[in-house]
Amino acid sequence: MSTLLVLVGTALCAVLAGWAGWRAARDRPVVLRQLYGAAVVEAYLVAQAVAVVVHPADGGSGGAKYWLYAVTQLALLPLAALWAFAERTRWSSVVLLVAALVVGFLQVRLLQVWGQG
Amino acid sequence: MTPERGPETRSGTRPGPRPTNSGGGRALVLVYGILALAACARGGYEVAVKFERAPLAYSLALASGIVYAVATFALATNRRRLAWPAVVVEMAGVLVVGTLSLVDPDRFQRATVWSWFGLEYLLVPLVLPFLGVAWLRRTGRGVPVEAPARQAPGR
Repeated sequence: MSTLLVLVGTALCAVLAGWAGWRAARDRPVVLRQLYGAAVVEAYLVAQAVAVVVHPADGGSGGAKYWLYAVTQLALLPLAALWAFAERTRWSSVVLLVAALVVGFLQVRLLQVWGQG
Repeated sequence: MTPERGPETRSGTRPGPRPTNSGGGRALVLVYGILALAACARGGYEVAVKFERAPLAYSLALASGIVYAVATFALATNRRRLAWPAVVVEMAGVLVVGTLSLVDPDRFQRATVWSWFGLEYLLVPLVLPFLGVAWLRRTGRGVPVEAPARQAPGR
């Protein structure tokens, strides 16, 4: 688990959260372009998980806590995307904002719990 | 291009209680769901691994997870009669356990998501039950909570 992997992920989430927050503040729902953005973030998270399995940088390993966080963060953005289709109000933007913030937070937590049971 | 408007889009003007799981309710359900997962995982782990060290605190930790899970389920499926007690128990829980964690830190420090009124979770556990109650009251009155859905989805 390398710090760089997490930093890039957190930055991507921050951009997505900022975009969603901007639209929420202007009372606008999520648009498809944002979902493409979320798909990029999601692809990065999947790549990160694969990279950690294939090549754990410092020779350590992720415990149960690590993988609980990892699986949770993978589920959040798809859920927000589904709700963006069902909810055509500003609240879809709020949901995407919350999801992106939580994923960014979990990215940092991944670093903290690396190597813990 | 924008996503199609889903069948669940509501005008927000129909009389009677509004569903708890649309509009702002979605954001609420998401936050409740995340806390339910966090609290259940934490409480379950503590009860399974180190229950003997602080039985009361760890039981409370697991109980808080169950309360969040029930509230999430009730809000997501529009079960108001289940959502009310869940949210009220949650409010009592965070206030009582939050206070206990300050009065008796040896036993309750760091044990549950409610310790220190949820400070470790950015105080979200303290704010959430009040949002839950406010949301149940507003939707219960049947008045539109936010502007009606836009005819043409965003730009």
